[in-house]
This record gives sequence, C-alpha cells and structure tokens, in this order.
Amino acid sequence: MKLSVNGVERQLASSPLRPLLHVLRDELGITSPKAGCQQGGCGACTVLVEGEPRRSCLIPLAAVDGAEITTVEGLGAPESLSQVQAAFAAHYAAQCGFCTSGFLVAAHALVEREPEVTREGVLEALGGHVCRCTGYVKIVDAVLAAARGEVDVAAVEPDVEARPDQPEILVPGSPA
Amino acid sequence: MAVSAPATEVLLPASREEAIEAFGDGAGVTVLAGGTILMPEIAEGRLRPGRTLLLVRAGLGGVHSGSSTIRIGATTTVAELAELGLEPLASAAANVADLEVRSQGTVGGNLCAPPGREFPRGDLQAPLLALAARVRSAGPGGERVDEVDSFLAGEGTGRLVLELELDGPPDAAAHAVLDRPHAHSYTPLAVAAAERDGVLRIAATGAAPRAVRLHAVESSRDASDALADADPQDDALASAWYRRKMLPVLVARVLADLKEAR
Amino acid sequence: MKAVGARLPRYDGVAHVTGRTTYVDDVRVSNPLWVKALRSPHHYAEIVRLDTSKAERHPGVRAVVTHADVPSNVYGHLEALGVPADEPLLADGEVRYLGQPIAAVAAEDEATALEALDLIEVEYEEREPIFDMRKAFDAGAPRIHPWGPVFPHFGPHPQRRIRKGDVEAAFDQADTIVEGVYRPQAIEHVPLEPQVALVVPEANGRLTIYSCTQAMYFSMGVVAAHLQWPLNKLKFVGGTVGGGFGGKVDTASETVCALLALKAQRPVKWRWTRREEFLASSTRAPWHVELADAVTSDGWILGRRTLTLHDAGAYTRFSSYGLTKHAFHHTGAYTIPNVHFDGYVVFTNRVPTTAMRGFGVTSVSFAVELHLNRIADVLGIDPFELRLKNANRIGDTTANRVPLKDPSTIQVMHAAADRIGLELRPEYRSMTNEPRTGALLPEHLVAQQSLDGEE
Repeated sequence: MKLSVNGVERQLASSPLRPLLHVLRDELGITSPKAGCQQGGCGACTVLVEGEPRRSCLIPLAAVDGAEITTVEGLGAPESLSQVQAAFAAHYAAQCGFCTSGFLVAAHALVEREPEVTREGVLEALGGHVCRCTGYVKIVDAVLAAARGEVDVAAVEPDVEARPDQPEILVPGSPA
Repeated sequence: MAVSAPATEVLLPASREEAIEAFGDGAGVTVLAGGTILMPEIAEGRLRPGRTLLLVRAGLGGVHSGSSTIRIGATTTVAELAELGLEPLASAAANVADLEVRSQGTVGGNLCAPPGREFPRGDLQAPLLALAARVRSAGPGGERVDEVDSFLAGEGTGRLVLELELDGPPDAAAHAVLDRPHAHSYTPLAVAAAERDGVLRIAATGAAPRAVRLHAVESSRDASDALADADPQDDALASAWYRRKMLPVLVARVLADLKEAR
Repeated sequence: MKAVGARLPRYDGVAHVTGRTTYVDDVRVSNPLWVKALRSPHHYAEIVRLDTSKAERHPGVRAVVTHADVPSNVYGHLEALGVPADEPLLADGEVRYLGQPIAAVAAEDEATALEALDLIEVEYEEREPIFDMRKAFDAGAPRIHPWGPVFPHFGPHPQRRIRKGDVEAAFDQADTIVEGVYRPQAIEHVPLEPQVALVVPEANGRLTIYSCTQAMYFSMGVVAAHLQWPLNKLKFVGGTVGGGFGGKVDTASETVCALLALKAQRPVKWRWTRREEFLASSTRAPWHVELADAVTSDGWILGRRTLTLHDAGAYTRFSSYGLTKHAFHHTGAYTIPNVHFDGYVVFTNRVPTTAMRGFGVTSVSFAVELHLNRIADVLGIDPFELRLKNANRIGDTTANRVPLKDPSTIQVMHAAADRIGLELRPEYRSMTNEPRTGALLPEHLVAQQSLDGEE
C-alpha cells in the first residue's frame, strides 16, 4: 500500500488494518500526530486526508491506500510558517504543545474553506479538539487572526536564540 | 511495530456486488465502515477480528431522493446526514460528536452499533425509528428489507446493511437533546419524533441499552407516560435516576415543538 | 531586568507549531518492546495465587515482572521527608484499589502484550472496600492500611493540628456561630499526553530513562530506590511534558520499564491508554471540610474550628504534605486570632491521590471563601466589607503564628472591586494593609499582633 504524505509518495509495509496514526508515527517517523486517546475523542491525532481533517487513530491503512495525507510538517517549516502556525506562535496558543498539531491541521483546513468563519464557527469546527493547558481562548484568537489574514508571519522568529535584543540571561544556553 | 493489528484477513470489495459476495453468510466477518466504533475496540484488544470486510470502496455511499422514497447508502457519513435537511435525522446527526468523527462515522455503523458499556451508542437509531425507516440488507437467504424496529430488535443480527429507505419528509418533526459538557462526544439522552398523516412516532436514545420507541407516549401524547417504555441505565455519563428525571422533560419539549410545527 | 514585563516568544513556540517538539512517545530507538500491565479488577482483595509462567512462554513475550523482581518493592514518595514507605511498586499479596498494577509484560508489540496478560493466572479473595472517608472512624469499618484508618505520622499525632488562642472563649463570646461543610471532589488531571516511559539499557550497564515526569531528580531517586542502584547508574532524559498539572510526579511508569529492560536487555516502552489514565492514574483528592466560625454581628471573625478529612486513597504518597499546606492556609487571607484545626489523611480503596495545581490549598480556599459568603449572608453584611475588615494586615499573625510582613489581601480586594465596577464605601475604600489601629484593632485582635516580626 502507499500514501502520499506531505507531497512525498511512500511505500508501506504496515498491515492493512493498522491505524493511520501508527503508520505515520512508527513506520514513517512522522511524529506530529499524537496518540492522546486512540478513541477519536481528543483530536490530537488529526491529520488531513485529501485536505479534510480526520482522526488518524480511527482510520485503517487500507481505507486510505493511495490517499494524500497532510500533517503539520507539511504545513510549513520554521523559516516558512503557514498563517495558522505563525498565528499560534504569535498568540501563545500552545503551552505543552501536545494538542497543537491536531488543532493546526484542522484550523488550516477551516481557514482555507471558510475564511469568513466567525468565532462560533471556529468553536463548532474545532470542538472535537481537547486542550488541557490553554483554556482555548488564545487558540480561537489565533485561528480567527489567521482566517482574517492578520498574522505577520515574518515577525515570528524561527530561532529564538538568534534574537539580537535578547534579554540578559544568567546562564548561557539556559531557556530561562 | 507498536499497536499491530492482529493477524486478520482484510477484504476490500470494490462494488456492492463484491461486498455482498465477500460478506457471504456473515460467519466470522467483521464489517468496518467508518471505523469510529471498531478501531478503538481493536486498539484495546477487546476485538480481535478474523476476517474484516472494509466497505470504504464498496460504493455503498450516497443519498438518492426519488419521487416518494429517499435511499441512503450504508456508508453515507453522519456529516452528510446532518446536511440533508431531513428531520429529525439531521438534528440528531449534527449533534453527534464533532466535525471529524461525523465525517468518518457512517449511518450503517451507527445503526448497527451495539449497546455501549459506558455511554449510549447509535444516536441515529432513534430518529430512524421516528421516521419508520426500512433497512435493506444482505446475508443468509439473500437480500431483504426489514422495518428498522425489527432490524434493531434482532432481525439485523448477522446482516450486512446496504441502504436505508425512507418515505420522504414527515409532516412535522422534533428533536431534543440532553447535552452535558462532560459528555463531550457522546449523548446522554435524546428524543426524536416525527408525525405523518396524524400518526406520531417517538423514540429515545440513552433511555435503554438501545434506542426505544415510546409507544405509551405515541398513544397518549402525554409526556408523563415517557417512562413506560424506557429502561434507563447507569453509565459513565449519567445515572438511571437522572435519565428518569430528564426523559419526560425532553418528551414534553418534543411534543410542544411538534404542536408548534403543525 | 529586561525580561520582566516584556512580551517574549516561547522558546519552544516554533517547535510546537511545526511538530518538532519531542515528547517521550516520539523518541525513536530500534526494536523497542511494548509494555502492558495486569491491573487489579477488584477494589480490595487478597491475591491468593499469582502465576505468570504461561505469559512468560507466550511467543513474542520477552519479559514479565512481578513484585518478586523488584529489589525494593515498597517505597514511600516522601521518604526523604521522614514519611515511612507504604506503597508496593507491584502488588504483593493484596490489592487495595481497582487498577492497581500486579504484573507487567514486555512483548514485541502491544497486541502480543495484551494476549500475554490474559495468560497470567490470578486468584483473588475479595474483601469489603471502603470508599466514604467519613466512615473510616466507624467501629466496624474495613481496615485497609496497616497504619490504621488514618495517616499517623504527623509527629506524635494522627492528625495535623493547629491550636492558637482560646477558641472556646471565642465561641462563648460570639453573637452567632456559622457552620458549613464543603466537599470538593476528585479531579482527574487528563493531560493530553498519557503517562509514558522509554527505558534503554546501555552497553556500560547503565539505564537511559526517557521520562514524562514533572520532577526529574525526584523520579530518579524513586527509580534508584526501587532498584537499589546508585544514582549515577541512571541517566534520566526529560524534556517537554505533554501536560502534567501535578499528576506526573508519581513516577508511575519508569521503574516498571527499567525492570523489564534489565530482564529483556532491550529498550522497553510503556505508553498508557486513555482508559488506564482514567482508571489508574492518581487524581486530586476528594476533601471534606467542616468549618464553624464564631462571629460578631458587626462582622468580626473571633474564632474558627476546622475539621478536614483528606482522602489519600489506598496509599499515602504526598497526602500528608498536601494536608499540611491546607492547614497552613485554613484561615485564608484573613486574620482569625483563635483557631482549632484538625486535619486527617484518611485511607480508602480509591486510586491514591496526588498533587494537582494548588495542592491542598485550593480545597481550603474553596471552603473558606464560600464560608465567608455564608457568614456575610447570615449577618446581612456586604461580602467585600466582611473580607476587608478581617483581611490580613502588616503585623497580623497567621494561624501557625507566622508574622505577616506585607500581605496583599486589601490591595487585591480593591483591584477586584475596580474590575467589576463595584463602589466601596469610603471607610473600606481607604483601608490599607498598614498595621491595625483604632477601630480596626478591637480587643480580641491585640494579642495576636506581632509588630516586630517575632513569632
């Protein structure tokens, strides 16, 4: 069986009933989709299948044989972030980050199909994604900012250490 | 390998005919459509399928509206039903879980959902009962059509659902849901009703291990008869006590909405 | 200082949004084994027989461990603070909560590990469990812990005690006694990242342990104690925790993986399912807080009696520490000169409870603030004014006699009033946290003052 993942065609050895989540994580080493519940209830495993958000923990490989899969790695890299990625970074919409990949691909699909989406629309579309850290407000703000094109992608530093006006830190190399 | 799928033969029919043939008499066959119910069972080792029939390519999806009959293919997604505008099915479908799960779950899987141990399953069974749906299935003895009532009562065991047939929109419809934040993806209790030619059909999700018709309410049109046909259970979402308190409230709401709609 | 008040990017923000942040489950090693644990199906039972031999022989199984494989099976999370050990890593002879781990299997994949669990033979003799901590003191209540119904090691006492002033006199002098019972319930942490550990045996005999712990050095100590190893044989690799909230200090997966890795001489990974998280991971404790306040009709709180029960679940873990913090805060942000506090850590057959955001203090704050509203209601006094009057001020002392140097109750109350657009009466608006004088220093508050900072 095969998949096209983030634009790259991959041949697969996994068994046909293996969940797409584990095919991506363990056979292909694409670890952004997470095993948060393996019941389809938390959203952390969400990937795009043919551009549509789907729970990869619920999809047997055989059901997506030949399909185009997009994960967060395919949305953008540090030097070329997508709108939603830059928005999440700028709005502090990620704390521990475990739910973030799932939110990002779903948000990306949402702003593509509905740039005029309202706050209620965001809550409805992303209502299946659980976050235990942020309380959701900054996530919704980030998604709306991305939808409205209000994000200055260039302002998000790909490498924090490289900032010239870095505040004084006591221990070089420390994240403090 | 992490969660390896246990050794299982996977059948991937590419047409309705191939699906019927692959299903055969159904012995030892696990049918997998959207996977929303079965994949977690497999992941936790509660289900170890021998032969798995994947319906993803069997062409059993799609909704066809004829002059008097609506045909809904077994692998039509819950999301598609939410867009169909056919009440009370559309409201019940829109209330299922979330966008991703609705896009993956199918009406066939929902219809055949076994009673959940920890939460009610099969949210679409009640509206299908209210709409007097008919179920076309394949299996031993060939293709046949059952009333959804008898299908759910046991006639559906060991059958492969092909499609549902409905008689077009009812004269009036209503749907009421008990939504609790902690229930997240699941529905603790819901009531669906449809009226056609003065005849009322009303059914509940979460009032018994499976969806039930509330026959007493259908005769009396009185919400205080709501519990006569119910068998509420304790589960992870709500106690039987709470369900007994809330079912008459939901039924009253539905009866009031039907009256408004007339 | 350039950082305080500055709007700085998270140093891991870009990594989070590009999927590059590495959690334990993302660490890749060759050929790991996968772990599943056999967990007790009973709330309270004796283990009459345990036989893992069939599981050990199952094809694809590389190691099985039980209590017999643990060099030091019983450990106490607070041993370093002098609290004796009481909890087995793997159950030995009995189980005291549903979900308690009894044995663990490492196999080539999770499905095989699950099959092996079915082959472990266990015979139980069920005993009657106790779930309601209020019943723990009853004569016929089940005794589930060798220490007795409650934790007995608060010095010489079976409870955390605070005594100050003369609470009997306060209750005699009061115009009204206001009572209340507050019962915040257990809460699951539900981190998005379930409990997970990966242990790699190194060629030089050390173990590398990838852990989701919130407390690296602490967990290192726990593993070393169970294995009876020196610390320098362990290399802990932490990193981004996918949500902890206090629930990932319990070191719940590392040691079992270490034992299996040593037996199998292969890397071993244990990733809990969401079901295991809800079933077996520790929770915030249920509490039972009874308050009785002696108050005057013009709103002075003369004295407080408190009885707290804290549900530790089946083992002690950090409960005594949480209760102690609860005790220190039982007067809240307010000055109450006469107090009588008794708090008990009670054992029940629940999952052992642990820290969660504000450990011990959230429960008492909940009780205290609701109780103040109740007092305001009973007395017909504005709830803001009641608080401002009794608020901590410089020179007041806490229930445990700590002199307050710069308490901020009044400033916070004023800021809160501003936020909600509440007009305070001038005498309350002009209050500060300066030491009490005049009308704010009634007779009953004189003795508790400590203006020179001495306890």
